[in-house]
Amino acid sequence: MLNYVWIGLVLIGVLAAASTDIYDASTNRYRNGQPFELQYNSTTAMNGTVSYSREYYDKFYGVDVDSPDTISCRADLTGSFINIYTDNDSPKIWKIVAKTDDNSKLITAKVLSQHGNMMTILLPTTSLVKTKAVLDAVISYSELAVKIALGLIGVMAFWLGIMKLAEDSGMIKIIARVLKPVMVRIFPDIPPDHPAIGAMIMNMAANMLGLNNAATPLGLKAMEHLESLNTHKGTATNAMITFLAINTAGLTLIPATAIAVRAALGSKDPTIILMTSFFGAGLATIAGIAAAKILQRLKIYRIDDKLDGNPPESEGSN
Amino acid sequence: MIKVILQTLSIVAIPLIIAAFVAYAAKKKVPVYESFVAGAKGGFEVAIKIIPYLVAMLVAIGIFRASGAMEILVKLLAPIANLIGMPPQVVPMALLRPLTGSGSLGLMADTMKRYGPDSFIGILVSTMYGSSETTFYVLAVYFGAVNIYRTRHAVAAGLIADAVGMLGALLICRLLFG
Repeated sequence: MLNYVWIGLVLIGVLAAASTDIYDASTNRYRNGQPFELQYNSTTAMNGTVSYSREYYDKFYGVDVDSPDTISCRADLTGSFINIYTDNDSPKIWKIVAKTDDNSKLITAKVLSQHGNMMTILLPTTSLVKTKAVLDAVISYSELAVKIALGLIGVMAFWLGIMKLAEDSGMIKIIARVLKPVMVRIFPDIPPDHPAIGAMIMNMAANMLGLNNAATPLGLKAMEHLESLNTHKGTATNAMITFLAINTAGLTLIPATAIAVRAALGSKDPTIILMTSFFGAGLATIAGIAAAKILQRLKIYRIDDKLDGNPPESEGSN
Repeated sequence: MIKVILQTLSIVAIPLIIAAFVAYAAKKKVPVYESFVAGAKGGFEVAIKIIPYLVAMLVAIGIFRASGAMEILVKLLAPIANLIGMPPQVVPMALLRPLTGSGSLGLMADTMKRYGPDSFIGILVSTMYGSSETTFYVLAVYFGAVNIYRTRHAVAAGLIADAVGMLGALLICRLLFG
């Protein structure tokens, strides 16, 4: 199923980008080649600000934006070109023009004429906006993936070290014993004394406390233990899927990130969502476990013995 | 009160767990240092192992997000959202939450900035954020670490959990905050 999701994301993405670009080109959304009139007020010989009314902008682009009545940006003149520095408050289309132009917040426009304060400029030609964005995304997200993985090394090593200690000392077994009655019910395929149970409990406890840094390494350790019980290499077991369903529901006592953002944005009661998100994630957890248990019985999700021992060629090097 | 206890707990939990594990291991005469190092060796290996899975997943998500497909999808889903009483402003959150952690974090902040963190939409969007995890990241990393590529019903179960989480968030917020 991950296959289809992957195909879907890539194809829908590329198609949506292409059709948006074609539509934008046919309606000339970015008004390529049309002169734009604005006011330029210089503060020094080269620096100043440009401003124009919202009304003019809306009429020019045929949109209805939600911004102040007068829009202004810092700008400087260099010869027959004007550099306009867009910021977060700049209207949307100008932000896109700046980003597509040279992937920054700077728009370099040609000055066509200037009479006193009034100036007529020609904005850079903007086309293939979404296609360029997709191209950028491919590169930046590949880099992000590696950055995330490498960033995990240190914390991962630390927690795997602590887990090994806990295993060697028998601590994991003690923890597992306490929660055995619940775990046996959720994971009937796993022997109750198996180290996988202890590792899964540790992962869930870390998630509950909102300790994301600890939860991932502990969860991966649990996956390794679950894999040791897997008789069909390369295929997920029922226990793995149930375990992941619990993880993706993300039940936590303290949704620390959401609370922090609320507080940062000046909420009067940032922690008001403690109860509500516990409710939401609690329902999600129950639904996830139930879905995993019900779906595993469906014929299409049964483990196919014919596939056994024949991993696809791309995996042959593992 | 509960809030303070929970927050304190989340801070002291890690040092406490570490101390307890080390102390117990020492008591059981486990060669603590050697044992720790032996376990930690796996850290590098696991991180490297998940790279191809993570690249595949994140690039697909990146293409999807950059293409503007999300805006089109939001428009298509507007009637359904309307039907279940979900404000259109939070539909992007419901769609983005399972796909990207950083993306949905940015979206949550942006939505709250626009409508205010204490407005109904602000509370709902942060509840939705807290009601789920980044399903596709979890699947890529966890299955990647043990080289699982036939994931069977994992995606379906994860997405059902997400959908119920989002609807649960909507339900409780409607009940408590209008």
